[in-house]
Amino acid sequence: MMEEEKGAEEQQRFSYQQRLKAAVHYTVGHLCEEVASDKEMQFSKQTIAAISEVTFQQCENFARDLEMFARHAKRSTINTEDVKLLARRSNSLLKYITEKNEDIAQFNLERKAKKKKKLEDENKNSVEPAEAGVVESEN
Amino acid sequence: MWRREAGDRSYRSGWEGWLLRRWRTATAGTASLRRARCYGACWIQRIRAPRGDPGVLGLSIVQRALLQTPSSRRLRSQTKMTARRCSHRARSTDRLAHVQASGHLEEQTPRTLLKNILLTAPESSILMPESVVKPVPAPQVVQASRRESGRGSLELQLPELEPPTTLAPGLLALGRRKQRLRLSVFQQGVDLGLPPSQEPHGNADASSLTSSLNLTFATPLQPQSVKRPGLARRPPTRRAVDVGTFLQDLRDTSLALAPPDTVLEDTQPFSQPLVGRSPSVHHSLPCPSHSGAKDVERAASRRTWSSGLGLQNNGAGKPAQLLAGKVEEVGALAMGFPNISSNISGEDGIEPLQNGVGEEAEERMEESLREVEKAAEAQGSARAEEPEGHIEMTEAEGSWGAVEAKEPEGSSGDEDTSGRTASPELASSTPEFLRARRLQILETAPPPSTAVLPSEPPEPLSARLPPKPRIPGSRPRQDPYKTGLDHYAKLFSFYAKMPMEKKAVEMVEKCLDKYFQHLCDDLEVFAAHAGRKTVRPEDLELLMRRQGLVTDQVSLHVLVERHLPLEYRQQLIPCAFSGNTVFPAQ
Repeated sequence: MMEEEKGAEEQQRFSYQQRLKAAVHYTVGHLCEEVASDKEMQFSKQTIAAISEVTFQQCENFARDLEMFARHAKRSTINTEDVKLLARRSNSLLKYITEKNEDIAQFNLERKAKKKKKLEDENKNSVEPAEAGVVESEN
Repeated sequence: MWRREAGDRSYRSGWEGWLLRRWRTATAGTASLRRARCYGACWIQRIRAPRGDPGVLGLSIVQRALLQTPSSRRLRSQTKMTARRCSHRARSTDRLAHVQASGHLEEQTPRTLLKNILLTAPESSILMPESVVKPVPAPQVVQASRRESGRGSLELQLPELEPPTTLAPGLLALGRRKQRLRLSVFQQGVDLGLPPSQEPHGNADASSLTSSLNLTFATPLQPQSVKRPGLARRPPTRRAVDVGTFLQDLRDTSLALAPPDTVLEDTQPFSQPLVGRSPSVHHSLPCPSHSGAKDVERAASRRTWSSGLGLQNNGAGKPAQLLAGKVEEVGALAMGFPNISSNISGEDGIEPLQNGVGEEAEERMEESLREVEKAAEAQGSARAEEPEGHIEMTEAEGSWGAVEAKEPEGSSGDEDTSGRTASPELASSTPEFLRARRLQILETAPPPSTAVLPSEPPEPLSARLPPKPRIPGSRPRQDPYKTGLDHYAKLFSFYAKMPMEKKAVEMVEKCLDKYFQHLCDDLEVFAAHAGRKTVRPEDLELLMRRQGLVTDQVSLHVLVERHLPLEYRQQLIPCAFSGNTVFPAQ
């Protein structure tokens, strides 16, 4: 029973992996087509397959590294810091990621500010009618 | 040990106690009655001996003990010798005759026995057994046979008695030198009794007898008494190493080496693609001060070819600040590895981090070196897995083996042929060097990996970075730490099993340098990632995990056990010691 379950699990994982690989392959193919149209160069099928394979492997590596980094920082969640650490090797990539990170942080801040404003407005609105009511009543 | 204090009555402890116990057990047995007598004689002598001279007696007893342990055969003769020493009564040659004539020990009382021993006992030195090493077997055989025959056959005694007489002059000399042993009384007796007997039977006999004992109350030197002064050992005169002069010598040698290196680097045929870059590199050099700190970097860390870019941009400013501050800490790099952890833990700020990183990197290098040698392929693949693709690993494989041996010794005399001038003031040079490095890495990042293989020395390397940054004016910057790279390169050339060009060796050094740089940067980043300012073994473990050396099956401790010598293992792997302590403390 256990072995059957394990076997079934493995098969499921394997099929899942294959689907992921296929998805990666598909995406890579699209990207290569874009690049080909841009540079007016053709990509052979083997190239696309190789690139997708490498991408998949690298994704696995990244995931492992990210997990290691998060654990190294004694966290259980992968953070943007971990991602930045991962991308530190490539200068341009790191820059890109930091910029994106800043954008996201800013966006979050803005959202928080908006939320706070909404709350404050609501409070004010609730207070103002009361005051208005008081004033009116006074008047 | 035989210098007991006056008033020390603790016969129970030490060799005296042992002797006492032995005597008692001996007395218990009938067969060893005679032996007991001798022991008793010795003890009696001791009790009677003047207070102020326990050492002499102790010596004799020790001699006895020693004699007992190796072979009881020599007991007879030795007891005679010890008795001689013990006794303070005047001796004369008549005693010898008496001894010779007596023959059997049984007929003698312990008192006379000891007297005879003192008369005839040879002199030996506790401290200088070698000086009296001589034809030992002959008299020992005599003694053995003497013992076997059961105390005192005349023939056996004779050869034994002869040599001891020659030791009288030694005793005399001893007496003069060791005043505190209160040999004055003894000396008088000796003077009276022995002058006629001072015949140069040669040190051979005396030494042979004494060598069996390896005991005296003599000082290490026996200049007057020793017939062959050449045998006397002098303590080796050691001059303290003067670090200042050593560094000065390094500077001088490196100065001499610097000019040719510059010329060599300029004429590198493969630097053409980098011609455009090299000027920029050199431009970058003068900006920060370039001191020997870069050698620290180099010796400590290496950058890989690929992608130091990220480090460059982000780290350029930081390391400059970091390194600018450290001066003495960099010197710690020269310290042995055992100091690494202490240095690292004891410092604050990223400055020490850098240094500690360097040291840790050295340590890491040590650890990973052997691993590298063994798992070369695995390493290469594991490294290639990394997005950066560190290829120098394979190159530096061979030379790493020596790193471990080299690094603990710290700096040594060899200069880095790459021509980098370094100086003991490493701090100032580090930022400049790092910046230059980073620029180099940035420029050379494009054609990084591909072909570098350990067995193919220069060609893939030639396409790499231009010559290392150098400041023309910075003369006194000779880095003693550069020597490590030189050593690595030599090892590399050894493991290559084929002759290597000098350029190839230089390239290897450069690659190693970059690799170590990269390594240390990684360590620094890892430590910062964990919110720490100090590099700890956890950072190294993470690094090695990324390298593929540490896996779920192979832990860091396993690697340490496998590849490091015991001293480092003791420092790295926590072990429980007595007193409920764990070292190193976690």
